[in-house]
Amino acid sequence: MRYLPSAPAEDRALLETIGVRNAEELLGGIPDRLRLGRELALPPHASEQEVAWEMGRLSARNARFCAQFLGAGAYDHFVPAAVDAQIGRQEWFTAYTPYQPEISQGTLQHIFEYQTLIADLAGLDVSNASLYDGGTACVEAALMAVRVQKKRRTVLVSRGLHPFYRQVLATAFAPHQELRLVELPLAAGGTEPADLAAALHEDVAAVLVGYPNFLGSVEDLTALGEVAHGRGALLVSVTQEPFALGWLEAPGRAGADMACGEAMSFGNKLNYGGPYLGFLAVRDSHKREIPGRVVGQTVDLEGRTGYVLTLTAREQHIRRDKATSNICSNQGLAALRANIFLQLAGPQGLAGLAELNAAKAQFLRSRLLELPDFEPVFDRPFFNEFVLRYHGDVATLREACLRESLLPGLDLGPWYPELEGCLLWCATELHTRGMIESVVEVAARVPSLNREGA
Amino acid sequence: MSTRQREPLIFEQSVPGKRGMDLPPLDVPPPRDTRAAHLRRRDFGILPSVSEVDVIRHFTRMSHWNYGVDDGIYPLGSCTMKHNPRLNEKAAALPGFTDCHPMAPDELAQGNLELIYTLQEWLKEITGLPGITLQPSAGAAGELTGVMLIRAYHVSRGAARRIILIPDSAHGTNPATAAMAGYEVLEVASGPDGTISFTDLDEGGKTRRGLNSLLAEFGPEVAGLMVTNPNTLGVFEQAIQEVADALHAVGALMYMDGANMNALVGVARPGDFGVDVMHLNLHKTFSTPHGGGGPGSGPVACSAALEPFLPVPVVRRDTRRVGEGEVETHTYRWDWDRPKSIGKVHTYHGNFGMLVRALAYCLSHGADGLKQATLRAIVNANYIRARLSGTYHLPIQSPTLHEVVFSDTRQAAHDVHTLDIAKRLIDCGFHPPTVYFPLIVPGAIMIEPTESESKAELDAFCEAMLTIAREAETDPELLHQAPTTAPLRRLDETTAARRPVLRWRSPETT
Ligand SMILES: Cc1ncc(COP(=O)(O)O)c(C=O)c1O
Repeated sequence: MRYLPSAPAEDRALLETIGVRNAEELLGGIPDRLRLGRELALPPHASEQEVAWEMGRLSARNARFCAQFLGAGAYDHFVPAAVDAQIGRQEWFTAYTPYQPEISQGTLQHIFEYQTLIADLAGLDVSNASLYDGGTACVEAALMAVRVQKKRRTVLVSRGLHPFYRQVLATAFAPHQELRLVELPLAAGGTEPADLAAALHEDVAAVLVGYPNFLGSVEDLTALGEVAHGRGALLVSVTQEPFALGWLEAPGRAGADMACGEAMSFGNKLNYGGPYLGFLAVRDSHKREIPGRVVGQTVDLEGRTGYVLTLTAREQHIRRDKATSNICSNQGLAALRANIFLQLAGPQGLAGLAELNAAKAQFLRSRLLELPDFEPVFDRPFFNEFVLRYHGDVATLREACLRESLLPGLDLGPWYPELEGCLLWCATELHTRGMIESVVEVAARVPSLNREGA
Repeated sequence: MSTRQREPLIFEQSVPGKRGMDLPPLDVPPPRDTRAAHLRRRDFGILPSVSEVDVIRHFTRMSHWNYGVDDGIYPLGSCTMKHNPRLNEKAAALPGFTDCHPMAPDELAQGNLELIYTLQEWLKEITGLPGITLQPSAGAAGELTGVMLIRAYHVSRGAARRIILIPDSAHGTNPATAAMAGYEVLEVASGPDGTISFTDLDEGGKTRRGLNSLLAEFGPEVAGLMVTNPNTLGVFEQAIQEVADALHAVGALMYMDGANMNALVGVARPGDFGVDVMHLNLHKTFSTPHGGGGPGSGPVACSAALEPFLPVPVVRRDTRRVGEGEVETHTYRWDWDRPKSIGKVHTYHGNFGMLVRALAYCLSHGADGLKQATLRAIVNANYIRARLSGTYHLPIQSPTLHEVVFSDTRQAAHDVHTLDIAKRLIDCGFHPPTVYFPLIVPGAIMIEPTESESKAELDAFCEAMLTIAREAETDPELLHQAPTTAPLRRLDETTAARRPVLRWRSPETT
């Protein structure tokens, strides 16, 4: 086995020093009756070539597309070569969590920079070192809001939040009978301040709204924040497409008290859903309630600047069942990708990418709307995703697109029954005008069904 | 290599006008929608303006201050820092995997679904448990999923129950998880050999409760017990079956933290010794790289009784026989129709990239290689135990498997403590072991070499440990001052926590 450093003479020497004749003798601690009295019923070891072939075969069984117009929380963006090259350095990817700061300054300084960038993009003060993904980031934010708000026990969640984020939230809240998760309705694709006002009461700790929301709509954080704050509730913005933060006012400056969500768009690939990058940024006054790892700046014995894991009194290894969260390993390498990506992008890159995304999405929308079968469902500002009703047969449209190696927008029916027959379209900087024209062309060729007439 | 001792923060290197990314030209009309004008960003804050060269050098220099598995032994106990095969990295980077959207229709993601299904079959055979989900993102997320399965099981039988029992030797994530799943934690004492005590123990007049009396008093309220096996001392819980029986007798379930599964793969299966539900750490046992703090992956395996509660969706394989030869063909799909499911625990399908690596690890090792790896990991740990136990205090004499825990008792006589030993190891060129854990061993030094280490590397590490023990007697100050050869000396963690500086701020704004 190529990964094992076995050599007969050395193996014998090891056993001799230990004082046993063979390795099995060392299993004495495991009672005989509890051992597996056979070999595992699995294939034998394989050469590197064979495994490479098998992995190649599996990867080739997935369809490849000329263009994907599917976003819905996972975005296809360009990843600069420098990101992959840097990530391939063993110093980054093979290291453990930086428990020994003297030989982990690389990771620690990177996290400090990452925290700075995320906090700044969010318009807030403090970010942690990362969370698992967008859905679990919502859970951590909601639980944190309940801790910060002491006696308040209700969390309002806009129906505009990613349906999977809402499912992850529901799973996490289910064991807590004392907590309540209440859905805020959508009106015309967004969360109305009036609906929020009606739902608020003295027990509401926080309100979670998408920014932009799952349907692509840019929620009016300022208006929602005023209403929430008027009743003592915190406003938590949930961003699933952080490229939007290059387009929109930072949530913290628009009215949010906490900002969380999914940051995979920064330098990470689609990867069938993971590894992704949960983020959470909060105000300075709440920093001792933040979950997960946090890196702080300090000095060494000689007064030189250095970085350490800090505020550990919040964490599971110290506080055990009183910890702010159980999270231990997070998404370190995904955060490193985001950090490298953001440094390469800089202010001009991020602004430019945001403009490209907004322009492509607006172009795709206006071209689709030139076709008789597409119709707006609501009229809200959006970034790179939008909803259109389709009057033809969604399945037929999908088949036609797939035949041309184009992945169309998401059929919203299964997730929003009230939006049956509607599709959620996404365009990014990766979509050329030609790709957009080809999906419009395909859609134009699909025979119209005109449901109203049927 | 870079010998620079300081790399300015990227923000301090920013020069307005520099750029590290060129964008394609806008080939469509510029954005016209102005309705959100009042919500448009005006200020790009502290994003740095730097070139690609600046960025690459910045990260390359910083990387030189990190110790990685390729640098040498990384003996963090409980962390299983084994070799990260490059083939696995290459496989995970195949565009067929990386470019696949998580909501792609099942028929267009057959490769991923087959991969997930296949890995599940391997892990089911390895654990001896019939149910599995690959959704949890790390060990702690697996724990939470597992305890929520336990909860759902009890709820389906009437009541969630109130208590989770956890041995005092457990990792901090165990009690933190139980609390996140809405349970109260009661601690179970471990006996002199570090394993779960059935009887109460008297310690200086204070009674520490054993399993029997806790179950006698709280039985019907106990939802389950979270046990790590082998435990955090590397000792196999000899009475694990009896622990399971005692729990099952009161209707409670047994959760196993599988962080130490590297001691058992191919040798013993949790499903065969009474475990109802457990998690695996693909970033430990199955070699997926730790990434400087993740991403990990924490699959949860469970009994048939818990299977209906697994997170949605679960992967299904449909088999058809086609053609004259009746060739079997398989198609795979996600099954969402799971009325008893606890729901989703990850937005999509978990850290899929880690699943690719873990399957590559499994295929490379095969049944024979997996078992050899386990045995070699145990041999390596026992070799270190044999070489160091004359010099370092071994608080627990029981046979140990893949790791060994010493303490600083002997060195403390010279005012040299675990932290000093760890820091001196850095000067000797090694990553220190896990220190001050498990909490039941004061001044613990927890060493897990893994199967990746050769005799030469083990010898070099042991020589360093022995030299340090001599230095503790002859020159304790040397140890107090360590490290002196690392990029930085010891860092002031107290001030860092008392007056936290958690981000850079531009001097102009402060
Ligand atoms: C025994 C034990 N349990 C749980 C964990 C937590 O695992 P993770 O960091 O993957 O969440 C660890 C990790 O160090 C561990 O050693």
